Amino acid sequence: MIGIEHYIVVSAILFVLGVLGIFLNRKNIIVILMAIELILLSVNLQLVAFSAFLGDLVGQVFAMFVLTVAAGEAAVGLAILVIYFRGRGTIAVDDVDRLKG
Amino acid sequence: MIQTLAFYLFAALVIASAVMVIMARNPVHSVLWLILAFFNAAGLMVLVGAEFIAALLLIVYVGAVAVLFLFVVMMLDIDFAELRAGFVKNFPLGIAIALVLAAELIFGIGAYQAGQLELGVASGVAAPALDASNTASIGAVLYRDYVFLFEAAGIILLVAMVGAIVLTHRRTENARGQQDISRQVRRNPDEATVMKQPEVGRGVDL
Amino acid sequence: MDYATSFYFTATEIGLSLCGLALLLVAGWQGNKSARMVTIISVAALFGAAIFSIGLFDRATGEVAGRAFGDLYRADAFGSFAKVLIYVAAAAVLIVTPRFFERIDAYRAEYPVLMLFNAVGMGMMVSATDLMTLYIGLEMSSLSSYVLASFLRNDERSSEAGLKYFVLGALASGIILYGVSLVYGFTGSTNYAGIRAAFEASFSTGALFGVVFVLAGLAFKISAVPFHMWTPDVYEGAPTPVTAFFASAPKVAAMGMLLRMAMDPFGGEADAWRQIVIFAALASIVVGALGAIGQQNLKRLLAYSSINNVGFIMIGLAAATPGGVAGALTYLAIYVAMTIGSFTALLMLRAPDGTNLETFADISGLSTKRPALAWSLLALMFSLAGIPPLFGFWGKFVVFQAAVQADLVALAAIGIAASVIGAFYYLKFIKVMFFDEPTREVEATSPVSHWVVLGICVAIMSPLGYLLTVPLGEWTAQAAASFVAAM
Repeated sequence: MIGIEHYIVVSAILFVLGVLGIFLNRKNIIVILMAIELILLSVNLQLVAFSAFLGDLVGQVFAMFVLTVAAGEAAVGLAILVIYFRGRGTIAVDDVDRLKG
Repeated sequence: MIQTLAFYLFAALVIASAVMVIMARNPVHSVLWLILAFFNAAGLMVLVGAEFIAALLLIVYVGAVAVLFLFVVMMLDIDFAELRAGFVKNFPLGIAIALVLAAELIFGIGAYQAGQLELGVASGVAAPALDASNTASIGAVLYRDYVFLFEAAGIILLVAMVGAIVLTHRRTENARGQQDISRQVRRNPDEATVMKQPEVGRGVDL
Repeated sequence: MDYATSFYFTATEIGLSLCGLALLLVAGWQGNKSARMVTIISVAALFGAAIFSIGLFDRATGEVAGRAFGDLYRADAFGSFAKVLIYVAAAAVLIVTPRFFERIDAYRAEYPVLMLFNAVGMGMMVSATDLMTLYIGLEMSSLSSYVLASFLRNDERSSEAGLKYFVLGALASGIILYGVSLVYGFTGSTNYAGIRAAFEASFSTGALFGVVFVLAGLAFKISAVPFHMWTPDVYEGAPTPVTAFFASAPKVAAMGMLLRMAMDPFGGEADAWRQIVIFAALASIVVGALGAIGQQNLKRLLAYSSINNVGFIMIGLAAATPGGVAGALTYLAIYVAMTIGSFTALLMLRAPDGTNLETFADISGLSTKRPALAWSLLALMFSLAGIPPLFGFWGKFVVFQAAVQADLVALAAIGIAASVIGAFYYLKFIKVMFFDEPTREVEATSPVSHWVVLGICVAIMSPLGYLLTVPLGEWTAQAAASFVAAM
């Protein structure tokens, strides 16, 4: 079997890509939500890999809960996005920024 | 050997599609790349013997979350060009920070020392049973030790459902194309039809 | 595992969940007509849960120590103390909520139900002794908070606040989770006792990264500097009752979770995290005090004030002693009363046409029109600034005392200096409310429920509050002793 280090590297890169996605697409909320899903994917991958290498199923149970919560989070996030869009007609966050100053 | 090859294939693809998720010009493409990323991550999970979570990842993410994303992207009429503003400006700084963060993580955690990383030692309470499948072992642990959290996770889903409905549901009165069954049933011929006997050549006066 | 004891210790969570489910059915059948009734029942349920937690306070000691479902959850004195604060705060906020929304016909029966589920999540957070329980509780509370923040769905500010809160909250959850997965991998356990034991055996860099990620994510949740940017925006944009809620109960929950995590699983490695906490504490105090200057909107001002107060609470944590934990808990209790009082006073400020008044210009000359309200607001603001003889001073005194006893004299000195700077700002309240000419019409009366909540908060903040120092000291000491067994 391939070593645990490889899995850690893959999920570290995925995590960093998720953070980078949030940073780069600061206006595009949809892509930000997808970047958050990438972060959760990296966490899941890491949990499952650790779980397998530790010989302990807790990590996989944890990953299952993360999946459950991620689904709920996506639903709530998209719902908020929809009402935001209804009110503004756009999903760009910074364009007027009523909440500054 | 096959395993090693498969690992590198899946790992390269998952990273490449993650890059495309955040770089794609069109959010619809981002969603599709996200789906590819999930498929490859599921492949990586299968390689370490976690079939159940891999299947769940596909069912929950590809089946539900990604479809939800696609639905929203297509439902909202979004000006994608506008959203790209600032992307190029942030790009060099973003990449620099990301590289530093990635290097710190990989070197900090010590993942570069192949084969020397010391993991913790599990208590062994939740060790997978040798004679049972991955799914059966997870089920045993989940329903034995984590019932409380399992129920709580159900409440989280309920909260998410209630929240999404409270926020987005609008009671649309008399919207076009909506069927009001009770009105349909209440209707009787006396109200619905009128007898007219027009004179020839005068037309009907409604 | 004995289910009877487990159910007994988690009875507040189970009871509130069942109550929430039943009320959801009522809300579904009766629609928004039932909103008032659902609110009243929810308040009663929250008070019931608080009373039950008081009952658990002494009972959860000894061999069992409140352990439920293996060691996923612990209803010890610490958890019970924090839960009483959380439930009472949530109930107080619910009491003053309906009028705000009813005016614009936006109150819905789901609101109190979401609050109940939020309270369940917060209770799990402070009692969690397993990273998994912590995560589930955190998300249950966060998800309902996102919905509450954008509850005025036709108001752009509310939905923007919800969106900002959601994006940053989800990112913070992701960071916490990444840290949690590292901690799990390098210790082999998600259980606090297991993590502590593994850390004592060996503390690798991987595990250190995990601890740092977890603490950074938690700093987001308590809005400590440098992760505070979202607070003013969200506090300003969210409907005022929701802001009152965010500033009180979830703060207690997140702080309680941070205290338990720092003292229990990471308690053996206090040196690894103490510097981060000291930095965050000082930066929060300074940024909170300086940021408040120049704010015209009172909700933004209170947001900075909450950042400032979180800094003081973290001084107690930086001491990393039972005295420090007790000080932080004392501060939290006083802080909750001050915050709820301030926001209630803010909710009582309304123009006769029903619009909410929330800027300095709106409250100028308030003393001539609503003298009682002006004096109450003044007392609360001075208490937030920590000016003696008001009770807010006692909280600061207790945490500084703990810091000095833990040989963190420099930290205490800088903290005291910064709090003096911050205090100047609150003088503006005197000028505006008592010496400026009135500019806006203010509604002359407020409902009794608001007066009751405000009255209780002001009474606690008045010098009468010092009658509470002895019992509060005993309770917090007992709560902090929950960790001593582990320390």
